[in-house]
Amino acid sequence: MKRIKWSRLYIALVLIILYIPIFYLVYYSFSSGQNMDRFGHFTWVHYQELLADSRLLAIFLETILLALLSSLVATLIGTLGAIAVSQIKNKKIKQLLLTLNNVLMVSPDVIIGASFLIFFTALGIGLGFGSVLLSHIAFSIPIVVLMVLPRLNEFDYSLVDAARDLGASNWQVFSKIMLPGITPGILSGFFMALTYSLDDFAVTFFVTGNGFTTLSVEIYSRARQGINLEINALSTIMFILVMIIVIGYYFISSRSGKKGGRLL
Amino acid sequence: MKKRKLIFLVPYLAWIALFVIMPIILITVYAFRDEHGFTLSNFSQFFTNGTFLRMTLNSFWYAFLITALTLLISYPTAYILSRMKNQQFWLLLIILPTWINLLLKAYAFIGIFGKGGLVNSFLGLFGIGPANILFTNAAFIFVAAYIELPFMILPIYNAICDVDPAVMQAASDLGANKWQAFKRVLWPLSKSGVQAGIEAVFIPSLSLFMLTRLIGGNRVITLGTAIEEYFMTTMNWSMGSTIGVVLIFLMIIVMISTSSSASRRKKREVKL
Amino acid sequence: MSNIIKLEHVKKQYDDGFVALKDINITIESGKFYSLLGPSGSGKTTILRIIAGFSEPTEGRVLFDGQDITHLDASKRQLNTVFQNYALFPHMNVYDNVAFGLQLKKKEKNEIKKAVKDALHMVQLDGFANREIAELSGGQQQRVAIARALVNEPKVLLLDESLSALDKRLRKDMQFELREIQKKLGITFIFVTHDQEEALAMSDEIFVLNEGKIQQSGSPVDIYDEPVNDFVARFIGDSNILNGRMVKDFEVEFGNHTFECADAGIKPGERVEVVLRPEDLDITSVDKGKLHVRVESQLFLGDHFEIKAIDTDENEWLIHSTNSTKVGKEVGLYFDPEDIHVMRFGESEAEFDKRLESYEGGD
Repeated sequence: MKRIKWSRLYIALVLIILYIPIFYLVYYSFSSGQNMDRFGHFTWVHYQELLADSRLLAIFLETILLALLSSLVATLIGTLGAIAVSQIKNKKIKQLLLTLNNVLMVSPDVIIGASFLIFFTALGIGLGFGSVLLSHIAFSIPIVVLMVLPRLNEFDYSLVDAARDLGASNWQVFSKIMLPGITPGILSGFFMALTYSLDDFAVTFFVTGNGFTTLSVEIYSRARQGINLEINALSTIMFILVMIIVIGYYFISSRSGKKGGRLL
Repeated sequence: MKKRKLIFLVPYLAWIALFVIMPIILITVYAFRDEHGFTLSNFSQFFTNGTFLRMTLNSFWYAFLITALTLLISYPTAYILSRMKNQQFWLLLIILPTWINLLLKAYAFIGIFGKGGLVNSFLGLFGIGPANILFTNAAFIFVAAYIELPFMILPIYNAICDVDPAVMQAASDLGANKWQAFKRVLWPLSKSGVQAGIEAVFIPSLSLFMLTRLIGGNRVITLGTAIEEYFMTTMNWSMGSTIGVVLIFLMIIVMISTSSSASRRKKREVKL
Repeated sequence: MSNIIKLEHVKKQYDDGFVALKDINITIESGKFYSLLGPSGSGKTTILRIIAGFSEPTEGRVLFDGQDITHLDASKRQLNTVFQNYALFPHMNVYDNVAFGLQLKKKEKNEIKKAVKDALHMVQLDGFANREIAELSGGQQQRVAIARALVNEPKVLLLDESLSALDKRLRKDMQFELREIQKKLGITFIFVTHDQEEALAMSDEIFVLNEGKIQQSGSPVDIYDEPVNDFVARFIGDSNILNGRMVKDFEVEFGNHTFECADAGIKPGERVEVVLRPEDLDITSVDKGKLHVRVESQLFLGDHFEIKAIDTDENEWLIHSTNSTKVGKEVGLYFDPEDIHVMRFGESEAEFDKRLESYEGGD
């Protein structure tokens, strides 16, 4: 019994460490002061500033648009790629493709950013929304492939034979048999791509130009100038958004059976 | 059906050619070039100048410290988690912070570690203080470990969950105490998760230049920061590429050595 | 023989309120082969886990050699377990698996080698020491699991549904081998199974469990011939169970006839259940039979025919016979008085034994 209590304490400590920074930000977002040292009095002023900051709001929306667009394209290319790779019979070619697939997964962000920067400059592609979008698509594709591929490997191909036997066309086989079978993989691939895009800082930092910036890059440049409680207000709003999404997801997945709920 | 498969493959292969192979070739080409053409001077500078070599060692040393610290915290966490009720819920709590933007979390630590921040006011209660915490290497390591923590916990947790509980009972049944059961059964069986966790933490740790800038005090102490410096500030892309190529090369060596030590299970023959 | 394990008033209730065991009292003598037999959820595995030390009882005590081990850690108990799915260490080869327990005891290397060799020889796996676990068949893994447990020279070996994953043929072989090993080593085996044939074939003594209670214990023959209630009668072997009424000592009425029987000590007129085993029923001509039945169906099962028949009162009868008959034929059923087993409603095992003694005492 005593052991269990110690382990509870340990988990509690880890969770406290994990959440202290977040709640620290949230706490001071309501402070009237100008730093995170002393809490002044309660105020909404930083939220008012945030809502009046049209530049930051535009960046916020653009970041979400970028994430959705890039993960959508990456999911499409990655899924088709995974289907193609799963059908390759030659083991050496397959292994080669999988190795190349994983190169971007294991590369440090700075290397990806730097080499993409050279790449875009060499091709004469201007730095801005386009180059950032292409980069986000590029580094999201491998995770989609890795999420979809196991589903394809588990896929029972006798279902395809059965469907054909019952007179299904190629397209029908694909859309009615194959796609539903691998949909969970595609969804988690899309979800991961979304997280990668929203979370990315380093690659975007390298390949973006003057005209376009994402939330991460914006926060970085503001944070380098020192503490600005408007960022705290933004953190609070983002944390609440994440909470809503996660709680919603948790309820949907726990209602639709115990199998869901695995988030990563 | 054959043609259709080919169509499936075209965008994927195009991606591999343009965004995987091309960038590697380009960064390598840049590393061997200056205004006049082919040159080895970047590399000779790298390997003769003590600053670069020290920086390389530093990078790996910090990445090692960050990885070791995360592992030390994560393994017990993952183990306790795997023995708890409502595991999905607790797991969710561990994962949740990863969806808060990394920069925001780093920014929070500027406040927490600041002169009048949380840690210093806490230390003040014991009459210690105020200490310079921000802009130290220790602060950098701590924040990096903080950010990587969930990525280490998850794979280890999954690996521990895959270990059949009956196997642990068998160890205890055969007389193993808690420590022996851990050392001889649980650890070897969950090693794959530890390896996955190390890979997920070590490599990103090499490129956390924004943390060295925000928390580590704007000093160029790792290869990641150096690359950023050469590309974004001094605009010497050739030298930046050289550092990049060296980093890639070292990483390949590290990866080959860890993967081969993992696959090469020591086969011990016993003569009866 | 001396008692080695004793369970006293053991009760187990899980956190969710489910009561897995209700007041279990068991005495295990050393050197015998015991089976805990029951359907899934009957509590048989819970008993085994409590003896092994993987689970603690909510109430009651576990004694081992007279010492209270209720709260002793599994690693400190002088018994070993063969797990349901073997639970071999997948990252070790056969040798390291078997040597595991001895290495922990810090035995000398040569001693370990010899012990492992002997253990592998006993389970007929000579020359398998350097194999990986994944390379072994289910039957071979089973043998490694047995060797791994036995090499520690436990006083008691616990086997948890250990043969259920094997195919029928292999299972028969292993039943025989396990019995041989047990006799040779002379240690106590406690075997958990849901397979009544397995329990009957191997055990010196069987505990039949249902719903967390011991229904009956005794030798296979006792339990088969004299089931104490209809659960035991139905669970062990096929049976014909009919409602009846005791007429007087050694006379019972069922199916509108009165028959001579071997049971006594029940008051006249009491409602009872009557058990007749299918293999005790003989098919004969109508005039020689005690009952008049019509054959409804017949199945050939290899070593006997399974015949279903209906008597004049519409009761269905199951008959095992080595001779075939014809469907639709009118035949007679013959059985001896000893073939009739009378069960009283709600009679416990102890009460049953007491009653038996009262009229068989003179034997």
